[in-house]
Amino acid sequence: MTQRRFIVEPRGLASAQLNIAVPVFSVLAALVVGAVFLAITGENPLEVYGKMVDAAVGSSRAISETLITTTPLILTGLAAAVAFKMLVWNIGGEGQFLFGAIFASGVAIWLGDSVPSALAIPVVIIASAIGGAAWASIAAIPRVYLGTNEIITTLMLNFIALNIMNYLIFGSNSPWRDPDSPQFPQGRPMPDSTRIPEFWNRLDYGILIAIAIALIVYFLIYKTRWGFELRVVGDSANTARYAGIGVSKKILAVFLLSGALAGLAGGLFIAGPVGGLDPRSLVLGFGFTGIIVAALARLNPIAIIPVAFLMGGLINAGPALQSIGIPSATVTMLQGAILIFAVAGEFFIANRIRRPDRKTEDASEKAGAAV
Amino acid sequence: MADQDLHLAIELRGIDKTFYGVHANENVDFQLRAGEVHALLGENGAGKSTLCSILAGLYRPDAGEMFLNGEPTVFRTPKEALAAGVGMVYQHFRLVPNLTVAENLALGHPDLGQVLNQRELHKTATELGERYGLPVDPAARVWQLSVGQQQRVEILKLLYRDVKVLILDEPTAVLTPQEAEQLFKTMRQMASEGRSVIFVSHKLHEVKQVSDRVTVLRGGKNVGGVDTADAEPADLARMMVGRDLELPTREESDGFGDPVLTVSDLRVDDDRGLEAVRGVSFEIRSGEVVGIAGVSGNGQRELAYGVTGLAPPNSGRVVLEGEDLTEMSVLAHIDKGIAYVPQSRLGMGLAPGLTTEDNLALKAYRRAPYSKGVRLVTSTFKEKGGELIERYDVRGVQPGLPIRLLSGGNLQKALVGREVELESKVLILRSPTRGLDVGATEAVRNLVLAESKRGAAVLLISEDLDELLALSDRLLVIYEGQIVGDLETSEATAERLGLLMAGQSEMSS
Repeated sequence: MTQRRFIVEPRGLASAQLNIAVPVFSVLAALVVGAVFLAITGENPLEVYGKMVDAAVGSSRAISETLITTTPLILTGLAAAVAFKMLVWNIGGEGQFLFGAIFASGVAIWLGDSVPSALAIPVVIIASAIGGAAWASIAAIPRVYLGTNEIITTLMLNFIALNIMNYLIFGSNSPWRDPDSPQFPQGRPMPDSTRIPEFWNRLDYGILIAIAIALIVYFLIYKTRWGFELRVVGDSANTARYAGIGVSKKILAVFLLSGALAGLAGGLFIAGPVGGLDPRSLVLGFGFTGIIVAALARLNPIAIIPVAFLMGGLINAGPALQSIGIPSATVTMLQGAILIFAVAGEFFIANRIRRPDRKTEDASEKAGAAV
Repeated sequence: MADQDLHLAIELRGIDKTFYGVHANENVDFQLRAGEVHALLGENGAGKSTLCSILAGLYRPDAGEMFLNGEPTVFRTPKEALAAGVGMVYQHFRLVPNLTVAENLALGHPDLGQVLNQRELHKTATELGERYGLPVDPAARVWQLSVGQQQRVEILKLLYRDVKVLILDEPTAVLTPQEAEQLFKTMRQMASEGRSVIFVSHKLHEVKQVSDRVTVLRGGKNVGGVDTADAEPADLARMMVGRDLELPTREESDGFGDPVLTVSDLRVDDDRGLEAVRGVSFEIRSGEVVGIAGVSGNGQRELAYGVTGLAPPNSGRVVLEGEDLTEMSVLAHIDKGIAYVPQSRLGMGLAPGLTTEDNLALKAYRRAPYSKGVRLVTSTFKEKGGELIERYDVRGVQPGLPIRLLSGGNLQKALVGREVELESKVLILRSPTRGLDVGATEAVRNLVLAESKRGAAVLLISEDLDELLALSDRLLVIYEGQIVGDLETSEATAERLGLLMAGQSEMSS
């Protein structure tokens, strides 16, 4: 009889400590892996990480810049989380983000300078949510009514959205394009009245809106009837149908909500720090990073807030690395490693590994002796 | 001991297996002789399936040793077990529905190459089937076969590999009495060839009829083994349950109330768009329990779906106290007073990943006190949930844990309790005590009887004849989507029902 050194068994409910320990460990493990690669390329990992921490939170300026990046990540993280919770695999956050930005800037330009901020800003923000939801609906409706695979459609729609934006700025004389800069195509600046005001360094109130939305999403999922139905559908569509819950409608609604949240990310980002439909400032992969944020936060809307801050800091550290001659791709690598460890960490949350009991070992030894 | 002269096919010593810190098997010794039919008897959760899965290489014991023909052996995978001549027919068959019978036999067979000789294969399959009284058409695709036929394929698969030890996990649960008889003949024949058969069951009369020896498990422990010939059914029952026990049955009723549910000429399609319910009519009065007997797959599921609104009928009417519900939504069916206990508890009926409290609120959450406007009142979920857990004796609930961690019996008590709590006019149940131990069966049966006493019209759709005979006032037999028999329980016998269930038409009304 072979002796078993480890026993893997499912655990019921992971403790709160473990729910925090696993994501923290995922990040640390990713840093170790990153350190190995940095060491191979002849860098001092500690020095590089020190630089990154410095760039992310080393000064009030750094912190405010990190928070600026946090805003869209909270929302794209929420977009991924609500969808994944329902087993809707919307990985089109990127495209929905861009369409949120296109709608927000389009409405802002159309409104012009004449409308007071108190009205213009909400209208622009709502427009971005509608834009994201509209773009998501292209994948959502066929998914719900025809059963198409949303992983493929949402992914492909990302590229279409990107090219539409490029067309609006580089390929045509659309209202989005800045007429004052014919040689260097760029987005037409949004009127000041449609921009979200800043309150600390360059940081605007968008961060507070994003945090508020995270709290609202939490409330929606865990404290409302609608959210309860959503959790039932996400857990078992058959049981939901049995309980009289309209499954198709729920899936459609959550898909559109997911799109709206990603769109809001685009809206807040463009009405906040960017200020115009400028491809170079918008295509930073917030949609995809949102998936990492959601996974690391274990789809919990509240946990998304700190995780988004962490990822925001990581993204902001990229340019600082470049300045000391290290490719900013290091950051992308670290992000990827974090995601892999976070997903692998799910195993440890779902299962426990233990050594066989003393009694068991005795029995095994006896068995060995008998042989 | 004289036993030692007999050749042991398998011996287990001190087998231990733990799940979630609970012993599924605790220090179990077990001896299987060559050429015997050995019954493994026990309540659900007694550890029968775990022990079988260890024998078949699916689980590895935490401790203990196994000897195969006297040699110490470890099976790491079912494949290793098969190679050593030990095979199992699981409760849920492991066949590929789109392949033919012959192809399923060949699948994974170690001695067959990449190219199949179909003609040879068909010939072997037919011969094997004839020899063991397991006739099947080798060219038929598995999805076309009835459950009983699929089971034959599973057994043939093992015989084709010439296994010496066959483990059959509750094989008769899906068979008509006649099919079960045939299976027993096959089992005897295999034993006479020197093969050993482990027969898992909790039906005493079957154990008595077919086995040479019995081992009884209770709470994961071996509580004794006897030669079947020496065992009285009452003794076996006591060993199994650990106490004397009598399951509740219905009392003679002094007449019923007005008709509550009237179903007329109902026709319902299955998932594949084939008509599975083909013109079913019946009526249930207040306080009456109407049983629907039939072999699984004869339209029972679609009948339940049609009456609960889960599958819109093609034609026919479902009328509740004069109100036509046929075209209404599932939610309207619930609101008007139709409660439903589906067959697969975790597949439909319960949301496995949500907590017990959430699941207990699944039908009531739309109204006060569970919700206020759009808001959920979480405190009500906790309080009401706690009350229901107590009232329906749901054990093992821990706050915050998903309900799927509960045992089958407790899941069912929660599910039936939730539906009973609705105090609805009609209660529909599908195989409500399937796979439950005696204690849980008793609890569920009592709930059903209490509902009928309260005045509910109860529709009991089941494959368990004992249960149907014990609880129903009237029995309908369904065969291929049609009602082929309508009898008072007093005039029904297992034999008569069995014939009707097998499609031997003898319309008695």
